[in-house]
Amino acid sequence: MKKKNIKKKNSQNNFSKLSVFQNQKYKFKKKCPLSGKGAPVIDYKNIKLLKRYISENGKILPSRITSVSQKKQRELSLSIKRARNLALI
Amino acid sequence: MNFYEHTIIARQDTSPSQIKQIQDKYSKIIENNEGNIVKYESWGLMHLSYLIKKNKKGNFLHFKIEGNGKTIRELEKSEKIDKNLLRFLTVKVKKLDLETDYFKKSEEVGKK
Repeated sequence: MKKKNIKKKNSQNNFSKLSVFQNQKYKFKKKCPLSGKGAPVIDYKNIKLLKRYISENGKILPSRITSVSQKKQRELSLSIKRARNLALI
Repeated sequence: MNFYEHTIIARQDTSPSQIKQIQDKYSKIIENNEGNIVKYESWGLMHLSYLIKKNKKGNFLHFKIEGNGKTIRELEKSEKIDKNLLRFLTVKVKKLDLETDYFKKSEEVGKK
């Protein structure tokens, strides 16, 4: 009986941990900050916005870090390249 | 008719009167080639983030144009041979954004 009890406790603990882990994983998935209502417009003249999505060396940050949607990432990279051409970034 | 945004960078040692001349010269070219200037913005002297032809700064002129392909072709043709200019950029847009001005003189945008 004692052994069974211990086993049960352990299994329950494991399950609870697992569920907690999954919950956290869900929380990490952020929404895209550039799509949806009230989002800022991506433009090559808006340097303040573009600077948030480049590294210190001027490289474009990958979307898996910034959680920008695929469509917006394309727009973003195009406008960053335009701003680079004008020596704004 | 299409809408375009056109930006020119002039050399750092151009005087204000020369900039005025450049502005007049290109606005004439636009208007002679079926084009129409909707808005003109002067962004002023700004720091370039890297050297272009040994220039640290540049004078930025920005046009919002209504025109067609011929207008842009003629405009860029004459800009290519102009020695006072460093760069130019033309962007075709669906709608002209006339309200927001990202480079107002009081703000120090584009410092780096």
